[in-house]
Amino acid sequence: MIRVERRRLDNGLRIAVAAIPELRSTSVLLAVEAGQWFEPAGHAGVARLTAQTMLRGTATRDAAAWADAIDALGAVARLDIGAHAAVFSAQCLGTDLAALLELMAETLRTPALEAADLEFVRGQTLAQLERDERDTRAVVDRVWRELVYPRDHPFHSPGIGDAAVVREATVDEIRDYHATAIRPDGALLVVAGGTTADAVAEAASRTLRDWRVSAPRTDRATSAVSLPRAVRRAEIVPDKTQCDVLIGWPGIPRDDPRFVAARVTNMVYAADTFASRAGNVIRDQLGLAYYVFSGIGSSRGQSPWIVRMGVNPENVRRAIDVALDELRKITVGEVADDDLALAKDKLVGELDVALESPGGVASMVLEAELFGLGDDHFERYPKALRSVTKDEVVAIARSCIPPDRYALVVAGPPLPEPLA
Amino acid sequence: MIHALEARHAPVVSLWVWYHVGGRNEVPGTTGMSHFLEHMLFKGTTSHPKGDLDRLLARYGAQWNAFTSEDVTCYFETLPRARYEAALELEADRMRNALISVEETEAERSVIVSEREGLENDPSFLLGEELQAVAFSRHPYGQGVIGSKDEIKLMPRDGLYGHYRRFYAPNNAYVVVAGDDDAGRLADMAARAFAEVEPSKDIGEPPKAPEPSQHGERRIVVRRAGGSLPIVMLAFRAPRASDPRAPALAALSVALAGTTGGGDGASGRSSRLHRALVEKGLAADVDATFQLMKDPFLFWLDATLRPEVAHAEVERVLLEELDRISRDLLSEEEFARVSRQLLASHAFATDTVTWRAFHCGRLLSTGAASSIAEWYEKLAAVTREQVRDAAAAVFVERFRNVGWFVPEAAD
Repeated sequence: MIRVERRRLDNGLRIAVAAIPELRSTSVLLAVEAGQWFEPAGHAGVARLTAQTMLRGTATRDAAAWADAIDALGAVARLDIGAHAAVFSAQCLGTDLAALLELMAETLRTPALEAADLEFVRGQTLAQLERDERDTRAVVDRVWRELVYPRDHPFHSPGIGDAAVVREATVDEIRDYHATAIRPDGALLVVAGGTTADAVAEAASRTLRDWRVSAPRTDRATSAVSLPRAVRRAEIVPDKTQCDVLIGWPGIPRDDPRFVAARVTNMVYAADTFASRAGNVIRDQLGLAYYVFSGIGSSRGQSPWIVRMGVNPENVRRAIDVALDELRKITVGEVADDDLALAKDKLVGELDVALESPGGVASMVLEAELFGLGDDHFERYPKALRSVTKDEVVAIARSCIPPDRYALVVAGPPLPEPLA
Repeated sequence: MIHALEARHAPVVSLWVWYHVGGRNEVPGTTGMSHFLEHMLFKGTTSHPKGDLDRLLARYGAQWNAFTSEDVTCYFETLPRARYEAALELEADRMRNALISVEETEAERSVIVSEREGLENDPSFLLGEELQAVAFSRHPYGQGVIGSKDEIKLMPRDGLYGHYRRFYAPNNAYVVVAGDDDAGRLADMAARAFAEVEPSKDIGEPPKAPEPSQHGERRIVVRRAGGSLPIVMLAFRAPRASDPRAPALAALSVALAGTTGGGDGASGRSSRLHRALVEKGLAADVDATFQLMKDPFLFWLDATLRPEVAHAEVERVLLEELDRISRDLLSEEEFARVSRQLLASHAFATDTVTWRAFHCGRLLSTGAASSIAEWYEKLAAVTREQVRDAAAAVFVERFRNVGWFVPEAAD
């Protein structure tokens, strides 16, 4: 069981530490409420541009000096934009934690955000967007979001953003986003591994205590999303062998009381290529695909709940039919007791196995703290998984992932027959 | 051979079984046989019908998988400590008792074709496969691992079964376990589980197909519409894992491209190639890889170019940087960074139970070291001079293989 020690700085920054004294390394996650959910409408991509530009140097160190400093620690770090949070994640030796936090704090608090830095990041981002246009997985993700979420919804675009926004973003825009969104209130520092809560608190206090942001946070109004009918789209990506197939629905927020049951439903249906029904039939029984898996996102909003498959064009139609048929069976109550027990066993067992790595522990703590799941979450969560009933699974499948109201995108070589 | 390690920070055990069979043991006509066989080891045994293993491991919450490389085929499961004995039973059982039925072989064939087709969607895979093929004229490393699509489609069941009976046996395997128990006890339990497993009488000698010396640069161009950014890939002949220069080559790859493999991470940006290519706006990302292998293999460098940048320009800068690092010592400050990244990444990998066991198995199976501690000592002892000398020995024009991926317009 994970034991978490919690602290809080005066500026609102929360600290959660899961010490694992046997380890030399630590996993650090500094999450700021600056993910897609908080991005201003019509500016998809500004959050990521800001994050990447922040990594180009600070008021006291240029990009080269900052890179030298983090590599001198041997740390591995990145700053990603997720559906909910911007997460500065790193792994370092426990003895280097204070120095790492100093570099992270400098980046968050006093990034240089110079025009030349933005131009560099813009060039890199446009190159990635160009690469994504011929990447079947990136294409299905982009097109699926466009089908499901209205243009003004935070999840309408992938985290990398819209090419037009990326091309036109100005330094002022980046600086403004940094000034309003990168803030300690709502932020959370999670550390797991070879350190102590006192050491983390002391280092964090030294580097982050004076972090203040006075600009008001701008809330973004977001309406509920639902699919009135099934929508299907095929995108041809030239010179590919395999199609990426994505079937999905707008999911439910992490704080929705049905979320735990949704995770069990997801596992029964398609989460695991081998343990779930869709993968069992599509791969194991019919040999139609190498991988079949699904995922349900954790955020304040309706993150995507999606099934992914990689399928030869000749088999696309059949694989889709089977995937939806397996879902249909769940919605009419055809859930074997053993399948439900297996899904719960797997989800509970994985909690123990995740303790093997500081990164796994930190991720679980981050979710619990970010969404306020309670101090006793790690005690209650396995019991909550165990208590999910077949009726709940059926109800979730009917209401959240109905087999007659979904968005489907296929990207890859031309299909032998139209999708519709 | 059984090797056990204690890892007391989590209530789990990670069990790995390494078989000395991979692409290296294959001949033209049946390339991909070891990888195909890996899939068949999940299709049932005399005691555990198909699906039994998957469901049991899922029930335990296990993290499990298998992979095949040029050198080895490997199966692992990380699961709660209380289930260690069950995992041992499953692995000992499938070491000799897999069914590999005709029906299941046919059913799995299309899954493997699908796996190959997924890889073919990636221009880096296409270029890397072609470049590896031209880098070896005799050694089976040139055949890669997954096999050609046609050979997968023709793979005979009886050939698979013969391959299985020959290579899957305790006298051709390493068992490596790391977990939350006394190492002696973990090892004893494994020894008991595999004690009665029948050895193979037909392993034969390790493959001997020494690669003749390369006498000049080899060059290929792959043109496809399936990617939008150009790629430049270099592959130099490099020593095997047991060569005394292997630790210095590991450090060399860090000096060139850091430890995280390119991308948009915040670390590794002080590396030579990141600064020369990515910071200069020539490449979107760049990587350098030295792999621990049983036989002499390749030191890989690859750069994904920014749009509109010429291949020749990136290749020129790459070669300049390789020449520089082969000629001049890293500065003391730079070498300290490289060394720290190398040793820290070693700690990160071995702080996870699964990867601790994997790392140990890789060192043992390739002959790089007899333990994780020994490999760490070798890495810690690398000097600036050794890095320079290793670069000078490897980055030689006549050992060089060059590949360009040229994106084409869609029809």
